[in-house]
Amino acid sequence: MFDKLNCKAVYMSEDTSAPVLKNVGERGDSWKSPWTNFTVLFQHRFLVRNLVRKEIRGRYRNAMLGYTWAVLEPAMLASVYYFLFIMLAGNADKMYPVWVILGIIVWSCFGKALQGTVSSLSRNGQTIHLVYFPRIIFPMAAVQGNIIISMMSCFVVLPIMVVFDLPVTIYLLYVPLSILMAGFLAIGLGMLVAPLNCAHRDIEHLFRFIVRAGFFLSPVMWTYEMALERGAFGEMVLYNPMVVPLTMIRHGIAGESIGIPWAGILWSLGFGIVMWVLGSYVFNRHEAGAVKHL
Amino acid sequence: MTVNAVEMENVTLHFPKQRNALKMLINRLLRKKDRFTALRNVSLTVKKGEVLGIIGKNGSGKSTLLRIISGIYPADEGNCKVAGSISLLAGLGTGFSGHQTGRENAILYGSILGHKEEVMISKLPEIIDFSELGAFIDEPVRTYSSGMKARLGLAVASAIHPDILLIDEVLGVGDPQFKEKSKKRILDLVKSTGTVVLVSHSFGLMKEICDRLVFIHKGKIVDVGEPDAIIKLYYETTG
Repeated sequence: MFDKLNCKAVYMSEDTSAPVLKNVGERGDSWKSPWTNFTVLFQHRFLVRNLVRKEIRGRYRNAMLGYTWAVLEPAMLASVYYFLFIMLAGNADKMYPVWVILGIIVWSCFGKALQGTVSSLSRNGQTIHLVYFPRIIFPMAAVQGNIIISMMSCFVVLPIMVVFDLPVTIYLLYVPLSILMAGFLAIGLGMLVAPLNCAHRDIEHLFRFIVRAGFFLSPVMWTYEMALERGAFGEMVLYNPMVVPLTMIRHGIAGESIGIPWAGILWSLGFGIVMWVLGSYVFNRHEAGAVKHL
Repeated sequence: MTVNAVEMENVTLHFPKQRNALKMLINRLLRKKDRFTALRNVSLTVKKGEVLGIIGKNGSGKSTLLRIISGIYPADEGNCKVAGSISLLAGLGTGFSGHQTGRENAILYGSILGHKEEVMISKLPEIIDFSELGAFIDEPVRTYSSGMKARLGLAVASAIHPDILLIDEVLGVGDPQFKEKSKKRILDLVKSTGTVVLVSHSFGLMKEICDRLVFIHKGKIVDVGEPDAIIKLYYETTG
């Protein structure tokens, strides 16, 4: 009797240790994905770190100046826009080039993160055909890479602060915060259309246009305060969710609070959250079918 | 008692066709489904500890079948179940990032294949040693020849020991000396893994190592059975 029991116990323990049959590539409920995306990111952190490194290395490959370009690019662009603006508007604000350079850093973080997310599946066809892992990792790695590059660009504020003799305040935290927010606003929107971009690359071209047009429609070359001087236009401009991060970084450097009504900030944050939830859902729902187009 | 490692039931997979806007609109209006069926009602079981070979002409659906098992494509109809971890050895040397060094790519590729960080760190010396790249391991991969890339890819991919191993035409990469070495490495892996699904055109080798063969033609399984009989059937069917 005892023997028999013992036997059964051994048999059962063997049975549980053997792998059981499971459906392949099983995905969780799509509506849970806005939350589960974070656990996926944590579980695959080694992979994510390597993919992010690949994104960053890819950007400045074979460049003598390497990562210096992360600072040089916005600085050079800002000088061009400075001359253009002086010529057109005759603006003599000595801080204007600084506002433009900061605007360009935040906007290019948004723009490149958005384009990177939109093309995250279509660019990685080779890897997708090699192995299955949760594909949400591709857009997340693309955005993380761009956030890190933009953070490096932010080192340009150090010489600016010395030259313009700006105070070091707690508001400097707005600088990294605005970059993070720009990346967050980009990822939801990008995930929403990334599966569609596998079937129709038109999306990629459309979003390249959107990023270019948005450059002028958002306060990159101009500021929120300039818009306020135009009366009603200043309130209308707040419907653009990118106004908040763009203004935040400038006020952070100047050592002031953000100066945008709470409703505007909430609108912008809410837009990002809604896009994240919607984007995660759509991405998880359609990613599997979309990769057949690659 | 034999246990199944892979169970595929009536799997059908369609690929959408790329069309311009006008044609898509016409198809939509006519309610016509414009697609290519890569696999049609495929049912297949792989027993635990078995080496199963798949043969068929180019484009018959062999690689697609492996991709279904590894979860890359979900089946449109039917379902596929597997027991344990899977690793697919295919297209060695693709997916490397050319501007990173061989060492960085080995780690990247390893992490893509699902290796843990500790495993990669501990296996890296062995991987580098096996790839025979020498000082090239710290050069960017874009300077590598295709054989060197394949060697590095094989070294990384064969360093893991999954429960189920899927091999898609990766036997014999590189020069004759390395070809022997890589064949031996894969055969060792086949022996130690147990459950293997192998796609290859080298029938001699398949006769040698496979317990059963599957002949697949135009997306359908024609027959499953003893290697000799299936190879004969292959020549009879395809001419």
